[in-house]
Amino acid sequence: MRIYEELFIVKPDAPEEEIDQFIEQMKSVVTSAGGSVDKTEKWGKRRLAYKVDRFREGFYVLFQFNAAPETVKEFERRLRVSDLVIKFLTVRIDHTLKRLDKRKKEREQRAHRKAASAPAAPAQPSVSQQMLDEHAAPGEPAE
Amino acid sequence: MPEPKGRPGSAGQRPTGGDKAVATQKKQYFRRKKVCRFCVERIDDINYKDVRLLSSFIAERGKIVPRRISGVCAPHQRRLGDAIKKARNIALLPFAASI
Repeated sequence: MRIYEELFIVKPDAPEEEIDQFIEQMKSVVTSAGGSVDKTEKWGKRRLAYKVDRFREGFYVLFQFNAAPETVKEFERRLRVSDLVIKFLTVRIDHTLKRLDKRKKEREQRAHRKAASAPAAPAQPSVSQQMLDEHAAPGEPAE
Repeated sequence: MPEPKGRPGSAGQRPTGGDKAVATQKKQYFRRKKVCRFCVERIDDINYKDVRLLSSFIAERGKIVPRRISGVCAPHQRRLGDAIKKARNIALLPFAASI
């Protein structure tokens, strides 16, 4: 199972109910194949950066789901066949999420260490820092 | 970590952020050392959906700004380029903008 993100553009002249119906349909594609839809977002109508099928704006819909690669194939096929959708983009994001998580953890750990070392043991880990501070302090009035 | 000197966080010790005077014979001017915005602001995620962030790194014509101009570091420029290309693909950013 992998985590994917699917962003697709629906024709701007499609009625809202039809879009909702289509979203439900796409959800069932994922769930029936054993995946799970984590979130769907309707961004609403946005101006396109360039014309797509003679449309100047489009209705953006974002899907985030957890599924097997074959499911994505089927999902994309449906989008391609559908008359509503004018453009779509699939991005695999599980690696990215993992990387971000790792970075975040590192940040927290570093902050934690900093916070722990500052009040408890000011002498040991931050000696060089202190020395720099001391050097800097008398230097300032002289300048 | 014995020497925290070179860390970007300790900017207080380097007052001007490494300003460099470039003196030519005719005129004298300062060139500020460029820093990577993603490193300074600790932006981990360069996401293709973040149009506002990405659009500050594309030129008027829609081209990606080279890092010798924007000052972005190599790893971040790589991710930035990927993100901009994805955004272009889904019509969030232009391939070529008309002025």
